[in-house]
Amino acid sequence: MNPPPLLSAQGVVKRYGSLTALNGVSLDIAPGEFFGLLGPNGAGKSTFMALVSGLRPLDGGTLTVGGDPVAGASAARHSLGLVPQHIALYLDLSAEHNLRIFGELYGLRGAALAARVDYLLGVVQLSDRREHIVRTFSGGMQRRLNLAAALLHSPKLLLCDEPTVGVDPQSRNAIFDLLQELNRGGLTIIYSTHYMEEATRLCSRIGIIDQGKILALGTIDELLGQLPFEEEIRFSAIPETDALLPELATHGEVATVDGVHRFRPRASYPLSSFYLLTERSRLPQRLFTSQRPALEAVFLQLTGRNLRD
Amino acid sequence: MNAILVLLRKDFALFRRDRTSIVLTFLVPFVLIYLFGQVYGVNKATPGPTGIKVAVVNQSDNPAAARLVDALKAEPSFRVVTQYVNADKTTRPLAEDDLRPLMRQDEFRFALVIPPDLLRSDTIGLHLKTYTNPRNDIEAQMFTGLLQKTIFSKVPQLLGQSLQERARAYLGSARLHEFNSAIAAAVTKQFGGDPAEVEARMEDGHFGLRRLDEDEAPAPPPAPGAPAPAAAAAVDPLSRIVKLENIQVAGVGIKSPTATLLVGGWSMQFLLFALTASATALFRERDQGIFQRVLSAPVSRSDILWSKFLYGVSLGLIQLMVLFFAGHVLFGIELLPQLIPLLVVCVVAAAACTSFGMLIAAVSPTPEAARGLSTFVILLMCAVGGAWFPVSFMPEFIQQFSKLTLVYWSMEGFSQVLWSHATWGELLPTLGYLALITGLVMGFSLWRFRRGRIFD
Repeated sequence: MNPPPLLSAQGVVKRYGSLTALNGVSLDIAPGEFFGLLGPNGAGKSTFMALVSGLRPLDGGTLTVGGDPVAGASAARHSLGLVPQHIALYLDLSAEHNLRIFGELYGLRGAALAARVDYLLGVVQLSDRREHIVRTFSGGMQRRLNLAAALLHSPKLLLCDEPTVGVDPQSRNAIFDLLQELNRGGLTIIYSTHYMEEATRLCSRIGIIDQGKILALGTIDELLGQLPFEEEIRFSAIPETDALLPELATHGEVATVDGVHRFRPRASYPLSSFYLLTERSRLPQRLFTSQRPALEAVFLQLTGRNLRD
Repeated sequence: MNAILVLLRKDFALFRRDRTSIVLTFLVPFVLIYLFGQVYGVNKATPGPTGIKVAVVNQSDNPAAARLVDALKAEPSFRVVTQYVNADKTTRPLAEDDLRPLMRQDEFRFALVIPPDLLRSDTIGLHLKTYTNPRNDIEAQMFTGLLQKTIFSKVPQLLGQSLQERARAYLGSARLHEFNSAIAAAVTKQFGGDPAEVEARMEDGHFGLRRLDEDEAPAPPPAPGAPAPAAAAAVDPLSRIVKLENIQVAGVGIKSPTATLLVGGWSMQFLLFALTASATALFRERDQGIFQRVLSAPVSRSDILWSKFLYGVSLGLIQLMVLFFAGHVLFGIELLPQLIPLLVVCVVAAAACTSFGMLIAAVSPTPEAARGLSTFVILLMCAVGGAWFPVSFMPEFIQQFSKLTLVYWSMEGFSQVLWSHATWGELLPTLGYLALITGLVMGFSLWRFRRGRIFD
């Protein structure tokens, strides 16, 4: 028997005037999951995060964390920690002072608070900078502290709203490592991003969201399994290769993006047939590259648009 | 050259889109120029202050005393009050006993009593009594100067009458009559006229003294190399002729009433700037996403707003007390005897200032708009509210408008505590007004915050 979901959203609706930001979003997230919310800018990811963290009221549906409705300063708020997209810190105070403030807002006091501050400064590798003013930190250090501030009260659910925006690759990796370690320790994480690489690397299950609706939900394999092809073959759009397109179109999808043809053969079409065709056309093999499709392809399949459009 | 023109056009385009800069560049100086123009009496027929409220009690049956009252009523600098309004709205002439309590209630700050012995036989000059509550030196000196000017320019015969009374004391009525008859005869013999009429005019104090505002030949210029008459020398004889027996209703022994105005006024101005900046920091916290983090904790929007309010009140209290302490060190403002009332006034004033800052943050769409709006309103309130110069220096309609400002009531509170040593009963209305302003402004601000997008 599956454990009850830690977060349950059923038919969630949120409107801003005439704009429907979330339109009947339903999903359950089990304890211990690393759930990715993948979608382009404006898809509704941040709105969903804002609703889960109780920042805005719902216009329809239900949303519970640990069985408690998120609306109002209820127990649900103690169960979750939010890592906002911005560096939501007091930049003119020290790292330790910031953590103390946010810890006290959750009711931590005295030795318990000091212990959590010490522990988290160590986890984000800022122990030696604890008394330094946050404004003097690099972007990566600020991001790590931003993450630590959400963990002070030991939440059950961590909401990460695009927490690596503007971060250098090294700091990004450090944050990924930390999040994965926290997840292995049992922390449930919802991670919103428009980078499929991040979602692919981190998340055990992904929801693809666009225009306020969840378009697909599942593990990466489940999502890729929804594609009508297993491979994607790319080759330059030149007159010699253009001649192949009419025949290829009868065996799968062909799209041309930025001067590159993408052929996605149907599962019934063997790749050997493709390479036989290229040999007959006397085209060298080096013109063609084959790769497994990524989440980008799923998004394209679902919406007809690229994720970064 | 082309690049310069392009960049020049760019700067004007940016300026045109920046409402804050436009307000600070044109509107703020325009309003301040207008207000200072009113204070300096620019282009007015009668320069100087207008409408200084003065209570007048006439106890003399001398007809010239009635003329003095009429002259004071005609003087645009004064707004003369001669009637006491009873609770049932009926009126009666003011009595001297009414003056102190009414002045303690700040109904007026200056009063003139024309006593029965307006003219005394034992001394030359007029005997007048003034009651003053001179909260600032300039205002008090202005009242005295305007009073003397009115007497000399409008009813100079009072001085002649004074001389007659003095002569009567020395010579006796019969010999004075004989003296006046001889002078009248000599004058009419030389210049013509009716001796009886000239004698009557002399006894009425008309020694050829004209109203100073009548046509008069200009004084000859001083001889080359001769020293110019000293101002003090010109003033002192006048003040000896018009003897003002001043009874100070409040502030007796206070070293410098101006210090209270100075410290209180500038403290209020910078308190408003500081607290408005603090309140508009809400924008920065919003833009940094701090509200997102804080509100995701067990914290409500009201918690954030009330913490801001309490911070403002605390900061304001500290700032005011520190600056008044500086006033104590620099100018001798006496704080200790009035420390508790001063603390209370400072708390209420700081609360009012904080609510103003919250209002600015609540109604402004952007931090830039908040900065422009607050600069404009703060300077306006300080100018008309008495933080820079006494309210009485300004036209009547601005004086009425000033009572709508928290600066006016804060300055009233400081003055009542530090100058008048007001009782709690006397202080209560001022505190009540400030509390009312705070409540209304804060209530509106909270309503706006709930409807606005500051927490989005």
